[in-house]
Amino acid sequence: MSVDALVPSAIDGLMLGFVYGLAAMGLTLIFGVMRVINLSHGPVIALGMFVVYVLFTGAGVNPYLGLIAAAGLGILFGVAIYFVAVDRIINAPELTTLLATYSVNLMIVGVATSVFTTTPRAVDISLGSVGGSGVTILGTHAVAVAIAIAGAALLYAILFRTRIGKSIRAVANNRAAAELMGIDSRRVLALSFGIGTSLAMTSGALLSTLFSFTPLSGATYEVKSFVIVVLGGLGNPTGALVGGIVLGLLEGVSTVFIPVSWVPVLEYVIFIAILLVRPTGLLGARA
Amino acid sequence: MTAGPAAALAVRDLESGYGEVQILWGASLDLAAGKLTTLLGSNGAGKTTLLRTVMGALPAWKGGVLFDGRDVTKLSPHEKAQLGLVLVPEGRQLFSTMTILENLEMGATPTHARATMREAVNQVFTLFPRLGERRTQLAGTLSGGEQQMLAIARGLMAKPRILMFDEPSLGLSPIFTLNLFEIIRKLKGEGITMLLVEQNVQLSLAVSDDAYVLEHGKVSLQGTAKQVREMPEVRRAYLGL
Repeated sequence: MSVDALVPSAIDGLMLGFVYGLAAMGLTLIFGVMRVINLSHGPVIALGMFVVYVLFTGAGVNPYLGLIAAAGLGILFGVAIYFVAVDRIINAPELTTLLATYSVNLMIVGVATSVFTTTPRAVDISLGSVGGSGVTILGTHAVAVAIAIAGAALLYAILFRTRIGKSIRAVANNRAAAELMGIDSRRVLALSFGIGTSLAMTSGALLSTLFSFTPLSGATYEVKSFVIVVLGGLGNPTGALVGGIVLGLLEGVSTVFIPVSWVPVLEYVIFIAILLVRPTGLLGARA
Repeated sequence: MTAGPAAALAVRDLESGYGEVQILWGASLDLAAGKLTTLLGSNGAGKTTLLRTVMGALPAWKGGVLFDGRDVTKLSPHEKAQLGLVLVPEGRQLFSTMTILENLEMGATPTHARATMREAVNQVFTLFPRLGERRTQLAGTLSGGEQQMLAIARGLMAKPRILMFDEPSLGLSPIFTLNLFEIIRKLKGEGITMLLVEQNVQLSLAVSDDAYVLEHGKVSLQGTAKQVREMPEVRRAYLGL
């Protein structure tokens, strides 16, 4: 019985892993560029869910159009978070940036909870399914994978093919030298925070088409992002995507053998094991 | 001390330092347009602090910096680079995880340098053929000499009106050092205003037009490079004669 469930569960997990990976890319990008561990990451994921939800239930906007709106708003919102909470303490020790982004976390969760309450919401969308003989793939899952891959590809195209993307890498590599070359590093940092936030919100938008959610749902995915980022190596976007896929697959396989409520335990065990055995992550860190 | 009409950059009574520690105590110097000026001084005299303050990487406590007569003291480094004031920093400070070509592209960030970026890349590859051969190699994997070439090439990509070098020969072999001075001589021929901070006093005085000696955060001696080379204090302290 449980072995029969293994293959479909593994496939499900694998597909989810791409969506986890997309969010984790946002977290790791922000860390890689400015050495800030963004504790507002989870609530921002939840915000992505609610952008889709509000547009869908309020105006009947297709969730995938809502996703594009979430991605765009993510850039603006990330830039705003940067200037409100991060810019003034960008050179402060890590504890300060942790507290600053955590305060943003609390503010978003507080406002969102008072507006939306903690009643679970869902975006009712079905794209059918394909397959048979025990393995079926939901249309929403397949589209989520495609969009996550497109998002990751777009990030790489920006970072390696455009001047602004190369400026982001230059600032990540050596901020002082980038300034000497005429790069306005403050603008680049703000934009990087915007892109990282946009990735998280896009991931949240995709998750809203798969599961029900509340303003508190971001916390679960934030933890997953942290595990993934450590798995793939801090500051390494490729590592984040690969780490996401690995974590998703592990989740899918493990739920066949252990109760779902034990999955977070497994995640933390992986987290700690990686930190103990290979703190640079499976793919190593890239500056 | 007054700025001559041809001073492209005038540093006036500059004071700055780190935290509580004052390093510069009223340093003043002029860079004549199109000329190569060298700044001498022992370790800790404040040469790097002066360059960093001129660029705006360190705030000026007192005094100012005039670029073509305009007060630019409070501008940030990237704003100064936009104006054409470019520093090739000590220790090269390359983008080590990026390729040679990408480093050069980042050098061409100032708006006036972007349109002619392709030609500029070809020019620096003519000047440094080795960089052209390795254009897709990561900067961090280059040898020390090649990295210094790239640091200079990256500075040139900005189409600088004033180019400042901080210890460019540091860590280079004697052959590479001679090579470097040959390139600086070439750049001088192109009419770029330059400031050279160098540990190799003999060579830098030989290629420079003007010279200043910085001591304890203040200019103690100044003149043409020829005059300064003959000063007994300089001969004793810096040339070992």
